[in-house]
Amino acid sequence: MVDKNEKLTFDVIVVGAGLAGAAAAVTAARGGLNVVMVERGVAPGSKNYFGGALYTHSLLDIYPDFFDRKPPLERPVTETGFWFLSKDGMVRMTVQGGKVNNNPIDAYVAQRAKFDAWWAEQARKEGVFLIPKTVVVDFIRENGKVVGVVTDRAQGEIYAPVVIICEGVNNLLTQKLGLIKHDFKGNATALAVKQLISLPAETINTRLGLRSSDEGLAISVVGDVSMGLPGLGFLYTGKDSLSLGVGVTLDALSAAQIKPYELLQRYLKHPMIAPLIAGGQLMEYGAHLIPEGGWSTMPQLYTDGAMVAGDAASMVNAMHWEGTNMAITAGKAAGETAVEAHRKGDFSARTLAAYRTRLENTFVLKDLRQYRNMSRFLHDHPEFMDVYPNFLNDALGMFFTGFGKPKKQLYSDILKSLTSRRPLVKAVGDLVAFGRTVMGI
Amino acid sequence: MTAKTIDRSDLPEVYIDDILMSLKYFADEHEAHLKIIDPQVCIACKDKPCLNFCPVGAYKAQEGGTVQIAYQACVECGTCRVMCPPRNVFWKLPRGGYGVSYKFG
Repeated sequence: MVDKNEKLTFDVIVVGAGLAGAAAAVTAARGGLNVVMVERGVAPGSKNYFGGALYTHSLLDIYPDFFDRKPPLERPVTETGFWFLSKDGMVRMTVQGGKVNNNPIDAYVAQRAKFDAWWAEQARKEGVFLIPKTVVVDFIRENGKVVGVVTDRAQGEIYAPVVIICEGVNNLLTQKLGLIKHDFKGNATALAVKQLISLPAETINTRLGLRSSDEGLAISVVGDVSMGLPGLGFLYTGKDSLSLGVGVTLDALSAAQIKPYELLQRYLKHPMIAPLIAGGQLMEYGAHLIPEGGWSTMPQLYTDGAMVAGDAASMVNAMHWEGTNMAITAGKAAGETAVEAHRKGDFSARTLAAYRTRLENTFVLKDLRQYRNMSRFLHDHPEFMDVYPNFLNDALGMFFTGFGKPKKQLYSDILKSLTSRRPLVKAVGDLVAFGRTVMGI
Repeated sequence: MTAKTIDRSDLPEVYIDDILMSLKYFADEHEAHLKIIDPQVCIACKDKPCLNFCPVGAYKAQEGGTVQIAYQACVECGTCRVMCPPRNVFWKLPRGGYGVSYKFG
């Protein structure tokens, strides 16, 4: 792959060997192209971090025999939903069995350092070349077109007529190309911190009501966990670990002068949460940003000689906890477009526009457009993380303990527990506004 | 949303260094990937939100009002780059292979 001018040259360069990058790379390799992935970590996955769960549809889309390949997954998600926390109580609204019991199960808990290393290895088996421990610091441009990258290695130039940027949330290269005019914003980005806590599998099963280690939870935790800030907590079950974390919008966190690890510790000490993790050992702490702005912070997705996918392109639906699947779907679309560009021998923006067209036909751009106002809405309506979870706890708590009380009085008390927090007119308005935001109208 | 409206009474005190023991790093002792651009700007910055928002507590107040960064503890999240009010942080990725290296992720 060193040409006669001694230049290291490939057909495609993929920046970042994460979920998007390895999906893009293997797709391009299947189209007969010479592909290199440049990864800054010691191995793919070592810089990657999430809650979290992966979504089966996207994994099978790249590898139809995904499960036969023995991927390093934790537990299938067989119960999922919301836990609404008040200061000292909780309402659980989860679903299990029924539509959550599809074959295969729709979501799997995973650990990214292990999974992404495996994911990239699958691409390597199909001929993708991996260069780890290497940071891409700039692009090589000729006549305004991207024709390669500059890395932080000595003589670190690599040439290719098309570069797929899957650099993650800190999209400094995307910014450098001018695909977005500014760094990301504190009101459209969340900081998530997490602790991975080890516990024996049987202990996890007993405490969370799981019948075996082949059952697992993916829970969004709403309410007291974020101290009224726009944000959410989460809980995922590993085989012999629990993953608990909290994510809060950056500007609200900063204004509140709360240390993220104190917010997380407070969640772990919550009377409904602490018993679940009692006796557990901290395996790993970590922090990562989530580009929750989605559509509103999305860069231009392509230019002459380059495309952007995954977190770098703000492909996150904060409402549905989607991001990993968008990254994979987008990576595949970028890989297909790279193959098409090579077939045409044209790497201009006009040809690479097919990448965006492909995404328009998938849930990625359809959903990002529909949910374009969601991160702003939640940012501007913190009552969804405060007033309503507390009301829900009070209302159900009163309803199910109203023994011996005249029920007219009971219902009046329940209503009061709402109106004392938020006038009824405003509450109805909040609901309508929420509905409109979800529908994207 | 202001700090005043939040009940902080049950915020536990956390010794972040104990928690950071769970993380694996390949520390680059030769090159800091984070730097304060102008220490005078930190002295003039009253709020110093960096002392709170950094998820690994890498920002430490110094005598005289300056701030020092324990860059070796950085998990490369990017918060400081965008949330430093006067944008006084030079931020780049650690050299290839250096920095945090998640074991589980």
